[in-house]
Amino acid sequence: MQAYFVKKLLMLPLILLGVSFIVFVSIRALPGDPARLMAGPEATQQAVDDMRVRLGLEQPLPIQYAGFLMDAVRGDFGTSIRSQKPVSEELASRFGATMSLAAVAYFFATLIGVPAGMAAAVWKGRAPDQIVMIVAILGASVANFWLALIMMDYFAVQKGWLPLLGMGGPAHYVLPSITLGLLPMALVARMTRSSMIETLEQDYIRTARAKGLGAFRVYRRHALRNAMIPIVTIIGLNFGGVVGSTVVTETIFNWPGIGRLLVDAVRFRDYPIIQGVTLLAVVSVVVVNFLADLLISVLDPRVRFG
Amino acid sequence: MQATTGEKIAFRLRWLRRRPSLVLGAVLVGFIVLMAILAPWLAPADPYQQNLMQALLPPSADHWMGTDAFGRDVFSRILYGARLSLLEVALGVGIAVMTGVPLGLVAGTIGGRTDHVIMWLMDVLFAFPGIVLAILIVSILGPTLINMLIAIAIFSIPIYARLTRNLTLGLKQLEYVQAARALGAGRLRIMFDHILRNALGPIIVQATLTAGTVVLTAASLSFLGLGAQPPTPEWGAMMSDGRNFLGVALWVSFFPGLAVTISVLGFNILGDGLRDLLDPRS
Amino acid sequence: MTNRPIFSKSIRTALMASSVALLALGAQAETLTVMQSEAPRSMDPADQTATFTQVVLAPMYEGLVGRNSDLAIVPLLATEWAPDDTGLVWTFQLRDGVTFHDGTPLDAAAVVASFERLLDPARGLAAAGRVAAVLESVEAVDDMTVSFTLIQPYAGFIDLLATAVGYIVSPTADAAGTLGTNAVGTGPFSFVEWQSGEHVTQTANPDYWGEMPTLEGLEFTWTSEPSVLSMAAQTGEADVVNPLPPIFAQTVEADPNLTLIDQPGSAMFWVSLNVLDEPLDHVAARQALNFATDRDALVSALRRGYAVAANSPLAPTNPAWDASLDPYPYDLDRARALLAEAGVPDGFSMSVAVQEPEAPIAEALQGMWSDIGVDLEVRRLESGVWVEAAFNDPEAKAEDGLSAVIASWSSGSFNSDLQFRPLYSTGAWAPGGANLGFFTSEALDAIIDEAAAELDEDARNALYVEAQRIVNQEAPHVLLYSNRDLAATSANVEGITMLPGGLILVANATKSN
Repeated sequence: MQAYFVKKLLMLPLILLGVSFIVFVSIRALPGDPARLMAGPEATQQAVDDMRVRLGLEQPLPIQYAGFLMDAVRGDFGTSIRSQKPVSEELASRFGATMSLAAVAYFFATLIGVPAGMAAAVWKGRAPDQIVMIVAILGASVANFWLALIMMDYFAVQKGWLPLLGMGGPAHYVLPSITLGLLPMALVARMTRSSMIETLEQDYIRTARAKGLGAFRVYRRHALRNAMIPIVTIIGLNFGGVVGSTVVTETIFNWPGIGRLLVDAVRFRDYPIIQGVTLLAVVSVVVVNFLADLLISVLDPRVRFG
Repeated sequence: MQATTGEKIAFRLRWLRRRPSLVLGAVLVGFIVLMAILAPWLAPADPYQQNLMQALLPPSADHWMGTDAFGRDVFSRILYGARLSLLEVALGVGIAVMTGVPLGLVAGTIGGRTDHVIMWLMDVLFAFPGIVLAILIVSILGPTLINMLIAIAIFSIPIYARLTRNLTLGLKQLEYVQAARALGAGRLRIMFDHILRNALGPIIVQATLTAGTVVLTAASLSFLGLGAQPPTPEWGAMMSDGRNFLGVALWVSFFPGLAVTISVLGFNILGDGLRDLLDPRS
Repeated sequence: MTNRPIFSKSIRTALMASSVALLALGAQAETLTVMQSEAPRSMDPADQTATFTQVVLAPMYEGLVGRNSDLAIVPLLATEWAPDDTGLVWTFQLRDGVTFHDGTPLDAAAVVASFERLLDPARGLAAAGRVAAVLESVEAVDDMTVSFTLIQPYAGFIDLLATAVGYIVSPTADAAGTLGTNAVGTGPFSFVEWQSGEHVTQTANPDYWGEMPTLEGLEFTWTSEPSVLSMAAQTGEADVVNPLPPIFAQTVEADPNLTLIDQPGSAMFWVSLNVLDEPLDHVAARQALNFATDRDALVSALRRGYAVAANSPLAPTNPAWDASLDPYPYDLDRARALLAEAGVPDGFSMSVAVQEPEAPIAEALQGMWSDIGVDLEVRRLESGVWVEAAFNDPEAKAEDGLSAVIASWSSGSFNSDLQFRPLYSTGAWAPGGANLGFFTSEALDAIIDEAAAELDEDARNALYVEAQRIVNQEAPHVLLYSNRDLAATSANVEGITMLPGGLILVANATKSN
């Protein structure tokens, strides 16, 4: 098993290399000339050419890529074309906002998803099970931007219960984290349910119950450990989806994270920012996946990789 | 023992009753298919016909789901939109399966360096958050329905490649496959004849689940302005246009949103049902 | 025609109330939050040409002259000024005792530096073209006197100085190269922070030379979601929302906590036709599109009535606008006849590039023009790609197969020259100017030059009426409508001024609890 993780760890730089290449090439392939964009609609051709030199865009692509790689290793992703601040600085100030939102979203997803999934397993085939499964599958079937806007209109505008936009106190987290957490919540509930059903059918549980241990104690003793596995699995598998969803969620809620940064950067063809955000998003997904694998193997010694 | 027709039907009904997801999923998806087929007969109006003086009318007897910002009949557009949604699903899932499955088959069967390179590529693709990759791809190719589907398909490829490869590795060990090899069957023939046939079930389940993702991702990309172009009556684009009137004319985005939810729900439930049917272990 | 603007009642009341509020002692110091539909492009006023960026910059910068709430030119950093007899040399006397937010004193050298950077092509500043087309040189006469020498007499010079390109920037900050991200001017508010995804914050400038603002600070935020703009106004998370999407105007008007600002605007929306492209090279084809455009329906559906159908390239707020013109009533029969005259009786195919916010216009035109057999391919582009496609030169446009561009233009002042010269003169062909369809008319070029040099207002406006007729007749654009400017403010906010074109001035606002 150790060998498996060493192998995976060694793969990380290879994957990142592939990712960086794709990102670099695709960004150069984007239509739209950043030099003209920065110079402005009324700029002369001369001004546009000067801008291109200023941005280092006139060098051959391989040299640009080599320079990009060297800089990236040092954590230097260049300077934002638009804000003229270092990309690393822009990312640093935004990454925390995205991660805290994702963390809260997962927290809610777990807080509701696990008990719901357990209830569904315990009352398998009966009303609680059916309700949980219907809600879970609905949660995975709604377009998040649409739900977000409808929730905003109802809870923030009409009822005035929650703040509408931006990042602030705990109340600011409620609507964005529901938007972001709905899908993981649905997945956690389903995973918890199926793993609990499997556990409940194990011989040792039957024995424990036959020995007269209370149902509640049995569930608590065995369920907690078993609940951890689906949560970690979902976080690992779904993290990319959540990071992707922040693009939409942050745009709607004016959340100052990397998702909104990416949308703005694409709109203004801010190459260094697009590169930086994409790489950061991918690195965090790869790392979270790796850690999730590691954790599962610790939690569940039955799992073998190879 | 001879079973009467009545017994056969009763048996089948019982069989179906024990699989409510399969039935419900099939009904919902069938409903969408019917909408798509019958659109020209059911639609009260031309889905493209504008009437600016009738813009944003609330639902009424004339317009069951109201009119949109250009005075078009929302109900008619939703009916025709079902065709586009099914096309999206067919193309999006199709491209992903047609690319991912052969890659997985090749990787699993040949193994060695080929396997490493293919799986490395898949890991690289899989590391991209889907929407982020789609934003890049659509920004490069330009925002059209087809390009959007290509983008969605590309990030689904690794799922099929991994799934097929793992199934292939498992099946390779089976006695009859090894027996076939011993009998001198070529590697390619074994791949297609045995492995693919046996791996089909899980792939179909996965394809049904991907179908829901395709419709939802299409809606998200439309929201970002990267989806179908006007005046196409695509549900995601309709929701996305309608969201600008939220609070004043809810119906413009509500009904397309409902249509998206119902179709995704249908595919997800059907996928669950198929999984129960084809993979009795879970 | 007078150029007295029509103010909505609410604004006039607000202006009166604000002067009362200024007298009130111990007024609560508050921060005003302004939410707009797009992020600022730069903190350097010369490196942007966007109205909503100017809104953010206006409280921090001042020009030599400015506009008051009655839209009249008033002294700001210059106390007096005059042109010489030739109209070529303008001399400005600067105000004493003014310092920039960074402590640099305002003197002639600072003003000269602020304009010379615009004349330096190597700087590549986005708005430089507007000044470089007019200004020959600028020099310090003495410590507090500056003289501008024009290329030729230019009636709109003082109007130009009152726009963002005339804002005087700190020479120290400009030399340091930080102006693009860190504004340094002389205005009543000074720059605090620009968090690119979040906000621009400003604080009252304690050393301001003029009347101190009552607000403690300003915060500017933005969203690309129209419904979020309206929701932010309704929840009070934004004190001012600009522009308000017209669909929400009724909601705002009905809400006792909100005030609707509704004024005639100056932004003219149009479709620029590529006159080098067949069959649009034929004037009859261009006129046909004009006759096939139901402007009243566009105004009704897309602007919910908050716009004026265009009858000329000028908006009704422009002093030279001629109300009597009515060149293109909606008439499909005449459109078809003209198509036949152009040799395409059954219609033709064309393409149009449009940005996201204007996409509904393209979609509506697609429907309208299909009635005369014109098949309009809509290319909805993000702003970056759109700018490149729209401002391509003739060869690139031909290669791209782009026949038309939808855009709007607001000269931001009452300077008709800035509404004609950049859009229709031969010298303004893209990429150097905004003549996106490569229209050429010797007669029009001559009139534009003549009018620009004409210092008598009535004679100048008469020339511009002729210019309107030529543009209408030659139809290089399908002129659509001019917006009414809509914004929403909280009912407890007063003293906001809206200049035509959506430029709101918030520095003198007050906010009560």
